[in-house]
Amino acid sequence: MTEKGLYLYCLAQGNKKESLDLKGIGGTPVKTLTHQSLVAVVQECESKPFESQDQKVLADWLLIHQGVVDWAWEKYEAILPFGFDTIMVPANGKSAKENLEEWLEKESEELKRKLERLKHKAEYGIQILWDVTIILSGIKKQDAEIQHWEEEINSKSPGVAYLLQKKLEDSIRKRLEMTADAYFKVFYQRIRGYVEDIHVEKIRKENPPKQMILNLSCLQRKAETEALGGVLEQISEIRGFDVRFTGPWPPYSFVNI
Amino acid sequence: MEPTRQGRATLVDLLDRVLDKGLVISADVIISLAGVPLIAVNLRAAIASVETMLEYGLMKDFIQPQVTRS
Repeated sequence: MTEKGLYLYCLAQGNKKESLDLKGIGGTPVKTLTHQSLVAVVQECESKPFESQDQKVLADWLLIHQGVVDWAWEKYEAILPFGFDTIMVPANGKSAKENLEEWLEKESEELKRKLERLKHKAEYGIQILWDVTIILSGIKKQDAEIQHWEEEINSKSPGVAYLLQKKLEDSIRKRLEMTADAYFKVFYQRIRGYVEDIHVEKIRKENPPKQMILNLSCLQRKAETEALGGVLEQISEIRGFDVRFTGPWPPYSFVNI
Repeated sequence: MEPTRQGRATLVDLLDRVLDKGLVISADVIISLAGVPLIAVNLRAAIASVETMLEYGLMKDFIQPQVTRS
């Protein structure tokens, strides 16, 4: 008989053992385990990660994971979500359940502190994109030097023109980077004033001519996002800029402090 | 502006979170896929259909050399 693992969805505070009608990954029933006023939303699984080469299968699993987490988020005031494929296994002569309980006991104070901190709050994603052609056109209009260079290039022989063009492109690329940097700082500072906590995320590739210049995860009280929305609205009205405002998400980015 | 959970870009946002983040347990009794890059990259590519046109290439179009050979 294979020793079973426990797939972890999230933690919450509570004492009641719930009987659920909820199915998790692979159709396995989701259940709650309580220990010292902490609730773990879990399901049984093999003691190995769910893996698939089929991206549709993987995507479905991720959505199921989020579905269960969302259900728990609605039910409990605050939750600490686990990432996909976090699995408690039997080890050291103990079952997965025993290992989970031992870990909950050890971390009880810290976990409760985190849950308290996250009550009534949610995570929001903010991404700011620009249309690089519009921005470049703006830079070019304001820069007599660039216009001068273009005239220079047009008046030279192909070989020289090629070299000059390379230099010009280099210089423009640097200008673009500086401009992106400056906008990032200004937008970040503006947004910072309207959220409780903020986490800088990696820039993602977008379909040209759009480029992402800012990617943030923010923690904010669910009932207090109007002012933030106002700031983002203002930014989206600047010519060449788009804003993506996503959420509310369970606080995935703010559970490991 | 209201936050939303709809739309394709938002799906990528969600998957980023579920795949790469969440509470971390550092103990030998846990298996976790936290931070496995390969699955994440492949999945994002499939879902967001990212094109990798170089910024350089784009700028080239813009700065269009008007050098003509006579």
